[in-house]
Amino acid sequence: MAEQQQYRANLMVCAGTSCVSSESFRIKEVIEEELKKRELEKEIGVVLTGCSGLCAAGPVLTIYPDGIFYQKLKPDDIPYLVEEHLLKGRPVKRLMYKIPEKRAAIPTMMDIPFYKHQVLRVLRNKGLIDPEKIEEYIARDGYQAAAKALTQMTSEEIVKIVTDSGLRGRGGAGFPTGRKWELGLKIEADEKYVVCNGDEGDPGAFMDRSVMEADPHAVIEGMIIGGKATGSHKGYIYVRAEYPLAVKRLQIAIDQCHEAGLLGKDILGTGFNFDLEIYQGAGAFVCGEATALMRSIEGKRGMPRPKLWRSAVKGLFDKPTVLNNVETFANIPQIILNGADWYRSLGTEKSTGTKVFALTGAIRNVGLVEVPMDMTLRTIIYDIGGGMKKKGRKFKAVQLGGPSGGCIPEEFLDIPVTYEAIEKTGAIVGSGGMVAMDDSSCMVGVAKYFLDFTADESCGKCVPCRIGTRIMLDLLTDITEGHGKEGDIETLEDLSHDIIATSLCGLGQSAPNPVLTTIRYFRDEYVSHIRDKWCKVGVCRDLATFYIDEKMCKGCGLCLKACPSKAIIGEKKKPHRIIQELCVQCRTCYEVCRFKTIRVLPAAARMANEAELMELAGQIEAWAGIEMEEVE
Amino acid sequence: MIELTIDGKRITAEKGDTILQAALKNGIYIPNLCYDRRLLPYAGCRVCIVEIEGQRKLEASCATLAKDGMVVRTDTPKMRKARQTVLELMLVHHPLDCPICDKAGECDLQDVVYKVGKSEGRFIRHRREAPADVRGPLIELNANRCILCGKCVRICDEHQGRVALGFIGRGFPTSVQAAFGEILECDYCGQCVDICPTGAMLSKAYRFEARPFFLEEKDTICSFCSVGCTLTLGIREGKILRSRGKEGTGVTDGNLCGRGRFGFDYIYSESRLKTPMIRKDGVLTPASWEEALGYINDNLKSIIDHYGPSSIGAIGSHRCTNEDNYMLQKFMRNVIGSHNIDSSAAFGYALVEKAWEMAFGQKNHKIDLKSPLNKDVILILESDPSITHPIFGLNIMWAKRKKGANLVVADSRETKLTRYSSQWLKIKPGTGVALLNGIMKVIIDKGLFDKEKVSTVAGFSSLMEVVKEYTPETVHKITGITEEELTTVAEIFAKAKSRMVSLSIGISENTKGLDTVLAAANLINLLGDSADSLQIPAEYSNTFGLYQVMRLIPDAVPGYKLSDRSGKDVLEMLYETDSLNALYIVGEDPVVTFPNSSKIIGRLKALNLLIVQDIALTETAKLANVVLPASSWAEKDGTFTNAEGLTQRLHKVVSATGNSLPDWQIIRNLSQTMGEDIGIKHLEDISEEIKTSLESHQPSLPSGKRALYPVHYIPGEESDADYQLSMIVRDVLHHSGSISTRSESLNLVASEALLEISEQDAERRGILDNSYVKVSSRRGTVYLKAKVSDAIPEGTVYVPTHFPHGRVNTLIHLPVNGGISIDAVKVEPVKA
Repeated sequence: MAEQQQYRANLMVCAGTSCVSSESFRIKEVIEEELKKRELEKEIGVVLTGCSGLCAAGPVLTIYPDGIFYQKLKPDDIPYLVEEHLLKGRPVKRLMYKIPEKRAAIPTMMDIPFYKHQVLRVLRNKGLIDPEKIEEYIARDGYQAAAKALTQMTSEEIVKIVTDSGLRGRGGAGFPTGRKWELGLKIEADEKYVVCNGDEGDPGAFMDRSVMEADPHAVIEGMIIGGKATGSHKGYIYVRAEYPLAVKRLQIAIDQCHEAGLLGKDILGTGFNFDLEIYQGAGAFVCGEATALMRSIEGKRGMPRPKLWRSAVKGLFDKPTVLNNVETFANIPQIILNGADWYRSLGTEKSTGTKVFALTGAIRNVGLVEVPMDMTLRTIIYDIGGGMKKKGRKFKAVQLGGPSGGCIPEEFLDIPVTYEAIEKTGAIVGSGGMVAMDDSSCMVGVAKYFLDFTADESCGKCVPCRIGTRIMLDLLTDITEGHGKEGDIETLEDLSHDIIATSLCGLGQSAPNPVLTTIRYFRDEYVSHIRDKWCKVGVCRDLATFYIDEKMCKGCGLCLKACPSKAIIGEKKKPHRIIQELCVQCRTCYEVCRFKTIRVLPAAARMANEAELMELAGQIEAWAGIEMEEVE
Repeated sequence: MIELTIDGKRITAEKGDTILQAALKNGIYIPNLCYDRRLLPYAGCRVCIVEIEGQRKLEASCATLAKDGMVVRTDTPKMRKARQTVLELMLVHHPLDCPICDKAGECDLQDVVYKVGKSEGRFIRHRREAPADVRGPLIELNANRCILCGKCVRICDEHQGRVALGFIGRGFPTSVQAAFGEILECDYCGQCVDICPTGAMLSKAYRFEARPFFLEEKDTICSFCSVGCTLTLGIREGKILRSRGKEGTGVTDGNLCGRGRFGFDYIYSESRLKTPMIRKDGVLTPASWEEALGYINDNLKSIIDHYGPSSIGAIGSHRCTNEDNYMLQKFMRNVIGSHNIDSSAAFGYALVEKAWEMAFGQKNHKIDLKSPLNKDVILILESDPSITHPIFGLNIMWAKRKKGANLVVADSRETKLTRYSSQWLKIKPGTGVALLNGIMKVIIDKGLFDKEKVSTVAGFSSLMEVVKEYTPETVHKITGITEEELTTVAEIFAKAKSRMVSLSIGISENTKGLDTVLAAANLINLLGDSADSLQIPAEYSNTFGLYQVMRLIPDAVPGYKLSDRSGKDVLEMLYETDSLNALYIVGEDPVVTFPNSSKIIGRLKALNLLIVQDIALTETAKLANVVLPASSWAEKDGTFTNAEGLTQRLHKVVSATGNSLPDWQIIRNLSQTMGEDIGIKHLEDISEEIKTSLESHQPSLPSGKRALYPVHYIPGEESDADYQLSMIVRDVLHHSGSISTRSESLNLVASEALLEISEQDAERRGILDNSYVKVSSRRGTVYLKAKVSDAIPEGTVYVPTHFPHGRVNTLIHLPVNGGISIDAVKVEPVKA
């Protein structure tokens, strides 16, 4: 193996999506330059890790062995940081994490509320190891489970432990993994396959990406165990081509496994052969569907097949195939090592263990989280997520499960994030995308956004999905542009049910979910859009008129400066006014105003005269909508 | 067998049937659009959804297995609503083309919506407006009308193996196109046209011709190859407008090839003969039947007087009915008193029969179209059944693709079968005998046969002697395949549980001869298989029938002259000088299709009397003294016997062209004119006679005695410095014989005699693709168009003999002594 460098400290630079986009690669470069300048490069190691989790705080740097967590770094901070922390041994407080309302810095990661409430099982190695060094994975008990499974356990025993753990498919369907593996084991065939679904097509989801980039070996180990459990000797990891870093790291990991004798022929001298190949996707969400994914690996058009041929019997290349999600596989090694009871110790009876969520949206702490499945939405959004980001904004809904999921309103915040409880609301846990929305979101717009995605990604094979989603998108677009008519809500619901009932695969069967849930919980918004031609939060431009309430306006001029169309006029300290003819309804003034003075009125208001406008504005005050706090 | 209930009705089905299949088998209709009995379930249209008791979701009945005890409902309010929504969505963007769409009236979409759809749609959207794609021949694609059921794509892939169509794009904008949106280039079999449920895939030939409800549909048998498919012809006001394959019809269950679908229009060629003609002052001039028959009578009687009846010969036709051919031979034997009657079968099926008698002691070799489907190993020798006998070729391909058979194709060029083969032995052309001998040597050396049993077969020791010389090195030198390839195929073949060999042989090919058939028979006999492990189809629509019927000697009737029973065959009649004085050619064009055209022309010109009776003014007819117009295959009743030995009825579907008459009637009338009672008045009389003759004059029961006839490999004409290239004659897919070249539709696809030449040979000679070349052999010169190809080996050129204008047979020599007849040719570019 490579020379063991004895560093007195390791600087773990986060190279997750968000940190990279805020230039963490540059941070690493600057650190390395600085270390070289001070001749410290032999003492201090610098490692690029996968996503650390708290994306809102990026770029993130963790220094070990101290465990000090630095956030929001800029290249200019580095020389001082190196000088103070590494040379003088004085951690830099001003670069540490602070809870917004408090002043005290929190130096260590696990003390930060965002991390404190999480239980890192799948994500246990993130930010701690160099994913491109197999030795570091092994040092953290890596491949112990595979060794145990291959040398001490039978296939039946492995299947039993997975079944007893209650692990359910983390890709979204939540099918009991043990049962799937049992089916795979029972089938007799000359060739069987194990496939890992790393397509992660949900927009905004990055759970699987983080696992593949931060801890690729966890996936590989899970697949080796899966191979032993089902009697398969070849596996494929299907990674979407839009994740080149994940592909690179997985390939390095596979190559290192070959060198170490953990993949290939006669693994660990047990006589068990197993090998893995990476297959890259080609830009289709539908190829995340199991049967379409298999066609894609076969080099064919990615269209789902009817269930006449169950994949467990006739899957990839018409051979028995067991397909599981990245996160599912990543759970396996620890289940083998620690046992089913250990896994069940978290979560509920029917939804055991932990789930990784990509927590995003209008909250303070966006990032990657892993929580026990019995944790409530409220805890996740407020204790981990830090509550609403924008001052004065209230929680409105949380969207779960991506384009297949639904929007859950405030009344359900205290339900646990289990498969059963979430399903009752009409949403799904899905693959783990969780988008929190505040009261400046338009729910009709949210539904339209997701339907736009599914209509575009439909493979086109079956009529209800191919044409039905398009028709629904048309209807929603019409509604958001002011052409909605009486009966549209009923048509949307009706069409949704028929599309769900007749679609061939999960894409079509779940595409109407965002529409159905938003109608269910936010019907008044649809009514407002259709009947009153009024988007009350001003997102749908054709259905909004922006109006400055002159009674409240302090004349600070912020909106005037911000307006891109120069449509606002007014003198300093005097009430300002929006010239409707010039206004393009971009919502910028609404967003920058701190004094609660900008109202959103219906589209028709553009034609109204002053008196009518004032009256309308007054009515909105009465509407229990926005209650912004004044900011000094 | 399993039992299930559909809509309260108890039905039985077989294990493995889907719910839809079970329903359809029992006469229960579940609407469907993307299902076809020949294809794997697709479940894309979502119209066939049903409710299964105990299951929450609606399931597609085409893709759900029927289980014992299942209770299925096809028509609950919930389902009706869901199905109606699906159809409603399908129609939103479907163009309002019914008034101008050829499919209206037989459109599945119309029918299903009419039966179970809604009468109003909620959504009004822009209909698709792409122009129809009519760039390619014969098939038009109307993307607007496509409902993306995928049937055309699937039938072209799963069924035909051509994969010419595919889905381009994803989701709503998906469309069915040829690769890269280019012009559709394929087999033009038209299966996609017949299977399309809407007017998206249509026949260009039939475009805007008629509404289906104005068409009268009549079935008859195809006149091209010996598979004998049933064509369902659509006729309007006495004209055949289209041909299609109907499910459950005929030996191929409604599957047809491009010739069957599009080639029927040869009967409307301008070269059709409408009136008898007599050569007066060197020019063929129209005459009446009376005149023409009288002329023949006078001349024949004169020749009989001066030279005797055996100076008169006749050539029958593989595209005439059994009744026509029977009449001809009865006329020759009874009325003329000559046994000089033969046909093109002499170059093909006659050789097969000869070999059969020698090797197996059997007669009437029939093939079984479906036999490849239950074989483990199939060896195809230098033939392309997917061109010559397309549906037989499909079965061979399915045996490999669907049943996992081991398909070994020994061929010098790339074909559809080599592309799907398990093993492609790229042998040099014409070396089949060497290959077979080599295989036998390996089998003998390795003891992969029952030596005890086979050593008692006559000829065994001489077989051992001959085969001994075909060591792997020798075989490599002759054929070009490696020792490993040879041993592999020999072992696979010998160890197979069930196996077959197939090849084609006939007048339009020159890489196989009688020797090849004997060598193949030797292999079969060596392994102790039954004779039907060797399947060699008769060539054309009625080759089998023609050969049988021509051998019949009619019962003694008044005036029957039986003098010399052995007559002259085609080789004597056409190639030996001074053998005949008069020749009566019916339905054949030897000047174009028989080898060595110049020799034949010389012979025909030297005759005192040449009578040609055909449907069109062929090249042979142009040399005749008298030309008699015959009715085409669609204009008369009669029977064809296909390669399976199945006799099928033709039906007269349109009236005779001009003054033409069915061949048998012409012959009857001629006998009358000659004052002889041939004993036939009506068609039924002929059928009766054939029947009794076949029964009573069955030659002695075949002995069934096997024998081995070892043969050596004899190469074709040697190439030398002058004639460097070997010319291989092979059919092209869109034609069969030469009569198909009179079809306007088929000519849209292939109308030129293209000479395929390899890239290296073309470059060496300065020949450009699609340019004219001068092609000479030791027998003559012709001018053809060159096609530079990477599918053929260096040192060879490939040409078809279908095209009269090509006159490729000028270059060809007669096969000698059972050998092959590959010709050596010189190819030069034509200087502008």
